[in-house]
Amino acid sequence: MFAVEAHDLVKEFGSLRALHKVSFSVREGETFGFLGPNGAGKTTTIRILTGITRATSGTATIFSYDIKDETLRARQSMGIVPETSNVYDDLTAWQNMIFTAELYHVGRAEREATTKELLEIFGLYGRRDEKVHGFSKGMKRRLTLAMGLVNSPRLLFLDEPTSGLDVQSNLIIRDVIANLVHGGVTVFLTTHNIEEANVMCDRVAIINRGEIAAIDSPEKLKKTIQSVQSVEVAFDRSAPESLEDLRTLASVNDARKEGDKIRLYTEDPAAVIEGVTSYAHRHSLKIISITTHGPSLEDVFIRLTGLTVNNERRSARD
Amino acid sequence: MNGGLHVTDAGFFIRRIPLELAAAWAIARKDMRTYYLKPNIIMSGLLFPLFMFLAFAVGRNAPPGTLIPGLIAITILFSASSIEPVSIPIERRVKTFDRLLSAPITFHTLVFGESLSGFLYSLGIAMLPLGVGIVFYQTRILHAVTLGAGLVLSAFCFATLGTLFAAYPTENVGEVMSLLNLVRLPLIFVSGVFIPLETMPVAGQWVALCSPLTYANDMIRFSYDGTTHFGLLHDIVFLGLFILLFQFVANRLYKKFNE
Repeated sequence: MFAVEAHDLVKEFGSLRALHKVSFSVREGETFGFLGPNGAGKTTTIRILTGITRATSGTATIFSYDIKDETLRARQSMGIVPETSNVYDDLTAWQNMIFTAELYHVGRAEREATTKELLEIFGLYGRRDEKVHGFSKGMKRRLTLAMGLVNSPRLLFLDEPTSGLDVQSNLIIRDVIANLVHGGVTVFLTTHNIEEANVMCDRVAIINRGEIAAIDSPEKLKKTIQSVQSVEVAFDRSAPESLEDLRTLASVNDARKEGDKIRLYTEDPAAVIEGVTSYAHRHSLKIISITTHGPSLEDVFIRLTGLTVNNERRSARD
Repeated sequence: MNGGLHVTDAGFFIRRIPLELAAAWAIARKDMRTYYLKPNIIMSGLLFPLFMFLAFAVGRNAPPGTLIPGLIAITILFSASSIEPVSIPIERRVKTFDRLLSAPITFHTLVFGESLSGFLYSLGIAMLPLGVGIVFYQTRILHAVTLGAGLVLSAFCFATLGTLFAAYPTENVGEVMSLLNLVRLPLIFVSGVFIPLETMPVAGQWVALCSPLTYANDMIRFSYDGTTHFGLLHDIVFLGLFILLFQFVANRLYKKFNE
């Protein structure tokens, strides 16, 4: 059974087309990442899937319930954690949880037991009777996630769950999500943190300018761009001209300075290592470290969403 | 949000009624805890009608006790319709309103729950002029049951009016309040609160028929002095119709602006 199915979703705001025939499906129990640059259509897609916004055309179902015609049934099985921590500052943590549980029609005994359990898991039980306006950003984020789980959802929408959080909150949230996934909960995750998606997601979709650019598992996506392998090298001293010199080596497609290292993108790492070794010898440089890297999910993301921008810049320069 | 209403399974809808009522009550309680003591709500719901009333009552020859029904009527108008125009734009700004829009509840529940908080607030506030009349001016209530019914109907009617105006899709409280005051302020002049309906020009009397405050004021006044312009049944029916109209329009507007 699919937890989410979207077919040809189109969303227009006046003359602006925010989504253009977006289609994908998420299997039950899957952790699905939804990546894209700002303004790509991630939030619009989530708002349609959660029934807050109506699609101009196309259909979406949640556990086979049409989100447009069977909104209440579809929503009953989902939890939503929006990008903004939308908690009630003038209520206590406990009251926030209970109110959310009441909105989701959770029975009295169950909502109190679940609230206690979730506040304990998220490290907030000791402050359950304090008004939320005194909470830190991380605590509000944890409370928002706890509120999203109070109805024991089968499908959890997570919009940038760990964005800008302290280490403790980050660890707690990632740990909870891992446990949810282990327990069979389907997770629909949007994030700017591509490494987070790489580690957490079974599959990712990359959306750009309202269109799905790619959908697959992170590893399969990486294989599609084997040309974006790289060699990372660090010399004993930095020479300002090294970056441009290395860029001209045979088989090097691009070179970037990353801290005290230089990353050389190539389709032939062996040839590049040979070239770098010769270059170091000629310029009396000592190689401190040299490492080869396969393509990262970030490389895939940049390739699918960002290279156009770079090309445009290059074109403009040319 | 009210996709549930499209569901053909009538049993599903009937089974949901107690759930929806419980959710509406939860929304109302949330508003009570969050907004009842906000300074701008106290200002617009309590102090504004009081000073408005004093501005017109001071210097008149009528004994203060006879002015109490009018004070109660406009207090209910302002207090009932002041909660949602403040709370909903604020909730839009801090995104907590999305929490309501994404919950498994209908727009009817949202509108009813929001109206409920304004309704209860104004019933509480109305006790102040009512108590002042009894304690300081020894005003006698001739028909307590009618007064109770009048307070309940008019409070819910004006609370729904406030919820309706709060549907305007803005995060700015001032915008909603400005629009609302465009309606509320003229209402108090055409509804027989300060100027008896009998002494108004014919055109004014026709306009008065379109104001729910007219019927609220008529019922409350009857409770105190036993006189009524339209008759109690007429007042009750028209207040009921205004409630249904406001609930219906509010429901449609929230749906329109949030899809």
